[in-house]
Amino acid sequence: MTAPSATAIPRGGVSTGRVLIRTCAAEWTRLWTVRATWGFLAAAAVAMVGIGAIAGFEAAAEAPAPQGDPAWAVAPVAAMPAQFALLALALIAVTSDYATGGIVPTLQWTPRRGVLFLARTLVAVGGATSVGILLGSGSALAAFAAARPSLTLPVGEGLDALGTIAFVVAAGAAFAVGLGFLLRTTAGALVTVFLGMLVLPLLLPQFGYPWMSALAEVLPGSGAAFLLLGQVPGMTETSSVVSLLGWAGGALLLGWLRLARDDANR
Amino acid sequence: MIEVRGLTKRYGDTLAVDGLSFDVEPGKVTGFLGPNGAGKSTTMRMMLGLDRPTAGEVLVNRRRFAAFGEPLREVGALLDPGSLHVGRTGRNHLRVAARTNGIPQRRVQEVIEQVGLDRAARRRIKGYSLGMRQRLGIAAALLADPQVLLFDEPVNGLDLDGVRWIRGLLRRLADEGRTVLVSSHLLSEMEQTADRLVVIGRGRLIADASTEEILRGLGNLRVRVRSSQADALLTRLRERGLTVARIDAHELEIEDGTAHDVGDVAHDAHIPLHHLSEVRPSLEHAYLDLTGDSVEFHGRAAGAAPATTADAR
Repeated sequence: MTAPSATAIPRGGVSTGRVLIRTCAAEWTRLWTVRATWGFLAAAAVAMVGIGAIAGFEAAAEAPAPQGDPAWAVAPVAAMPAQFALLALALIAVTSDYATGGIVPTLQWTPRRGVLFLARTLVAVGGATSVGILLGSGSALAAFAAARPSLTLPVGEGLDALGTIAFVVAAGAAFAVGLGFLLRTTAGALVTVFLGMLVLPLLLPQFGYPWMSALAEVLPGSGAAFLLLGQVPGMTETSSVVSLLGWAGGALLLGWLRLARDDANR
Repeated sequence: MIEVRGLTKRYGDTLAVDGLSFDVEPGKVTGFLGPNGAGKSTTMRMMLGLDRPTAGEVLVNRRRFAAFGEPLREVGALLDPGSLHVGRTGRNHLRVAARTNGIPQRRVQEVIEQVGLDRAARRRIKGYSLGMRQRLGIAAALLADPQVLLFDEPVNGLDLDGVRWIRGLLRRLADEGRTVLVSSHLLSEMEQTADRLVVIGRGRLIADASTEEILRGLGNLRVRVRSSQADALLTRLRERGLTVARIDAHELEIEDGTAHDVGDVAHDAHIPLHHLSEVRPSLEHAYLDLTGDSVEFHGRAAGAAPATTADAR
């Protein structure tokens, strides 16, 4: 009834690289085996493809209809609201383990915390970014199909648009993952993500104080909005990239320090 | 083999585990006993690298747990059965465990059958009873056929059939030469399954000895006797030099001597007996005596004097 098992289980040394690959595979299984993941994916898909289709229909209805405009232009615009579903997906991949107590078996199975941190970050950020690229393409295709034959799908502009979406989603997801490891609560981390990515960048400049506007410019949401929409006063491409990378890197660093130093879930 | 050396854990002003040292040897079921808040779970969490010791260390098979690349092949553990993502199916929970340690996926089905979860494995864990979650945790612990097994309160939530099953499982695992550490507050359960006991109270080691030694070290057989002439019997027994305590108006307890001695005294004095038996102190009594004032949470003042490992022996 007990071991030895019928299935041979070899023992021996294993390289850290192999442990990382296995942990990434496990993280991937963790992601797709819970319903919340599919819910966030569905929300992101509806937002991006839906906005793309609506934009396409609007373009087709214009008189005169635009001739030769790239359908890719809609993808970054659609990614602006849809990114939040992807950021929530990445964040939940971390915080759900703390909310459910699942971090206890997780660290029993992967006690090397550096490996767990790296694998979870890679899978969550990589997954969200890949979906962002896929849905960006879907958004442009929906616009193209809805407006046919008015819009075009030039490859060069497509790479630019998808590259921008990939960078913004990757940086935002890394920011969310870092906050997840740091705060360990879904509510706290989600509120912080929304404040940093949406609410404060929009709200602070409305007060009219220069220092508040300056503060808004360094928040990650301003960088994301500039790269996706290109309409944020005071922002440049460089400042946007630096801001997003800084927030993502900072959150990951703090998240790693908490995971490495603190007890598993106390 | 588990080696605990000077293990200490402090949370602010509270010393949860205080310089704990003991070994858990292979081939035996070692019971880990202590009242609520004694530090059992904290100690087990430190064994598994979940909590960081303030001082001291734990070695599993001569290595720190956190150093293992394939920990499931070394140590299987069941801690809190509620600590898992209930939105996943039981099978997927085990699939994740198998992937982390490079265990063939067909082994997942084997352990599912082993713990009797065949019919529930495709259901989400949120629909599982506590007993089913215990079985799922045990399945994860057995997944990679490890030589060291830790179980924190494994019979919690199990029905009678499940309790008998876990009892047999622990025995078999130890008989196969594995190192088995089991914490439980069900002392009668430990009496039946544990070969050795590590007893702690308020984070400190109280006793580390075989179950037999602990039982024996706390006193010899006692004799219980009931008679309608208990007063006369008490006088006669004391005249024979026996130590006698009155339980109630008709019942006495003799701390030394045997049922044979008591029967002879009663016969010689023509005193009728309504009950005569020899009583071995149960682990329950031994445990309460040992942990005495080490109980952190209790409903009355603890009266027993502190006991030590030496006392137990």
